[in-house]
Amino acid sequence: MEIEFGIEDLAKYPFLREAGDYVKELDLSIEDLIQEDYRPAIEKAKKRVLEAIQKNFISSEISEADLEILSFPLALMLVKAIGIDYFMYRYSLAESLRAERLLEREKEPIIFHIFKSAFNVEAISIEHSVFDFKVNIVEYLKRATNFHKPEWKLINRVVEKGFVYLKTHELVRLIREEIRKMIYGRMKSLSLPKMPDKLKEVMVEISNALPPMSSKELQSVTPGNFPPCVTHVLDLLQKGKNVPHYGRFLLTSYLIGIGKSVDDVIGIYPKSPDFSERLTRYQVEHIAGMRGGRRRYKVPSCRTVITHSLCFKDKVLCAKIKSPLQFGREPIAPKRKATRSRKP
Amino acid sequence: MNGKTMAFLGQVFRDFYYKNAERISAPIRMNEREFGYMSFNKVMVRHLSFQKEGELRVFLIKEAPHSVYYSCAYYHEPTLAMEEKGWKGADLIFDIDADAIPTDCKEEHNNWVCKDCSLMGKGKRLEKCPKCGGMRIDEENWVCPLCLEATKSEAIKLIDFLLEDFGIQKKSIKVYFSGSRGYHVTVEESSFEGLDQMARNELSDYVSGVGLSLESLGFSKGVSYESMYGLLPLTKDPGWRGRIARFFSEMEFEDYDSTGKDNRDKILYIYGKKGYKGFVDLVNMIVKKLSAKIDVMVTTDIHRIFRLFNTLHGSTGMIKKECDDLIPFDPLTDAVVLGEEPIQVFVNHSPKFTLKRNLFGPYKSEKVTLPLMVAVYLMGKGAARLVDYE
Ligand code: SF4
Ligand SMILES: [Zn+2]
Ligand SMILES: [Zn+2]
Repeated sequence: MEIEFGIEDLAKYPFLREAGDYVKELDLSIEDLIQEDYRPAIEKAKKRVLEAIQKNFISSEISEADLEILSFPLALMLVKAIGIDYFMYRYSLAESLRAERLLEREKEPIIFHIFKSAFNVEAISIEHSVFDFKVNIVEYLKRATNFHKPEWKLINRVVEKGFVYLKTHELVRLIREEIRKMIYGRMKSLSLPKMPDKLKEVMVEISNALPPMSSKELQSVTPGNFPPCVTHVLDLLQKGKNVPHYGRFLLTSYLIGIGKSVDDVIGIYPKSPDFSERLTRYQVEHIAGMRGGRRRYKVPSCRTVITHSLCFKDKVLCAKIKSPLQFGREPIAPKRKATRSRKP
Repeated sequence: MNGKTMAFLGQVFRDFYYKNAERISAPIRMNEREFGYMSFNKVMVRHLSFQKEGELRVFLIKEAPHSVYYSCAYYHEPTLAMEEKGWKGADLIFDIDADAIPTDCKEEHNNWVCKDCSLMGKGKRLEKCPKCGGMRIDEENWVCPLCLEATKSEAIKLIDFLLEDFGIQKKSIKVYFSGSRGYHVTVEESSFEGLDQMARNELSDYVSGVGLSLESLGFSKGVSYESMYGLLPLTKDPGWRGRIARFFSEMEFEDYDSTGKDNRDKILYIYGKKGYKGFVDLVNMIVKKLSAKIDVMVTTDIHRIFRLFNTLHGSTGMIKKECDDLIPFDPLTDAVVLGEEPIQVFVNHSPKFTLKRNLFGPYKSEKVTLPLMVAVYLMGKGAARLVDYE
């Protein structure tokens, strides 16, 4: 079955390798992308991210196929730049749900082609009163054991000569988690280019709209989302350079402040020849308020960090914060609209 | 087992391996598998590896162990500790054991012994000794042509699932008599090799009929017969649906006359007569009949070691033997390989048993002269000991 994906198909399934190739062929730099022509793609990307994170839903309406395709890698970049693992998860889930809805209504040859090329699963369409496809039993089992409802148990399926029969929506459901993992993996391995200010502005808009997270979600703050001052201290440590005492204090209090455990924090300090874990543990526990006066030390304010010459302010992302803890998380007060809507 | 008996069995086994070295063949991809063995004094050695068939043969002659095992799994480093071996995949293996299949003959040839007062009785092991009230009760299980035949029919049902449902090629399926009381059905070099425990659990639940829902057969509570009708199984359906439909079509039910009627009509008729609860019980009974009674734990254990084929079973002196043709295979004859030279043994206790189409026993605390294969069979089971020659 030889079939070429059209641009409309790629717009529906922008996670496909073929869609990536399409974007590559356009050969656009990040500087090109912030030009006015591509404004709608950026807008669309922003919409993708916001819909995903706020409503766990990404619309499957497609107005302009090429912009739609382009908005996908842009959206991945934006989510990655937020740097919070939890949002990467939510975003990839919403994308996989969007793909699921589209695939359920898809033509059989396209389904076959997508399953084959992206997941190496042959979904063979069949003439049957109840079922639409059959897949190899091994491919079925590898995925179906993640589901716990009785209807996914092999014994409750129609199994014949090494094939399991499935309805279209079951087939698509079987693969959805893989689509999610694929998108999540893409984001994880993405290396962010230096963000032009225009994109940073979009990021701020997105950060402002992020829903509040529970403390468990907060723990998934990843290094990508550390404020520049903290990242700088981490860099020094990793390069084995001398870290001023106050730098250690900033790093430790920050990590404790975002909910890392004492052990996690100690693990971050490298084992250098002069490293004494006992001493580090003592200091970390002291800052965490587990020793001495049992007072938990607060993260220093940006102003204090500045006086210790440890601030590396980011023009956009540090613009309106007073504490490193607010970086990338605390909603920034929304800009007032210049004109208020008046009642006619 | 006393030292003399142990030494004697070791010598018999060594002799066999020496004379039959060329019968010992390596499993495929031998160097990726873990080997292990148990000596006659019950010491278990694992994490061994062999590179060449010759090495394996020399080892058997030298060690003459009670039992030799090889892993169903393939590893990067088979000799390392389990966590470090690096699991690559494993053959799909099913085990069917005579002990797990209820047959009437067991009342005849199985017995129990109280470890405290030595009271003995026939049949299944009791909870508590009727004489002294002791709880330490040993079970002595024997096999006979009847229960081994019942075990074989479970293997035949299993193979039907493998071929018809799982689509496994006939040439990938190997059936072995274990050398004692059951059959091992092995699938090598298949796409099933990479499946994890959970996936294998689905396969073993499938063949053993675990978890089948009435919904998968088209029944749902509170739905009209008309709307269920089209979803009920047909005899030509594949898989469990077809098996169950065929059972219904052959089943006699009260005075139901099926002339001119569809099998679905019959199923609905029975459903109506029995009611939901009664029908569930009936289907469970049918599933029990049609399923293959495998040991689920064995199939899901992806690190397990199994007796190596063509080697002797220390508890019987028979070999684990591949059955090229399962139907006429007679384990108590075809797996017997030791000679018939006379050996004098003292038998503590044994029921009547068959070996190589001859009937022996019952024996009770007596000295008997028996052919070597029979003497080893009894000594291996711990039912007899060697009598000194002097
Ligand atoms: S402004 Fe605050 S958060 Fe940003 S680098 Fe400076 S101290 Fe760190
Ligand atoms: Zn007793
Ligand atoms: Zn029996």
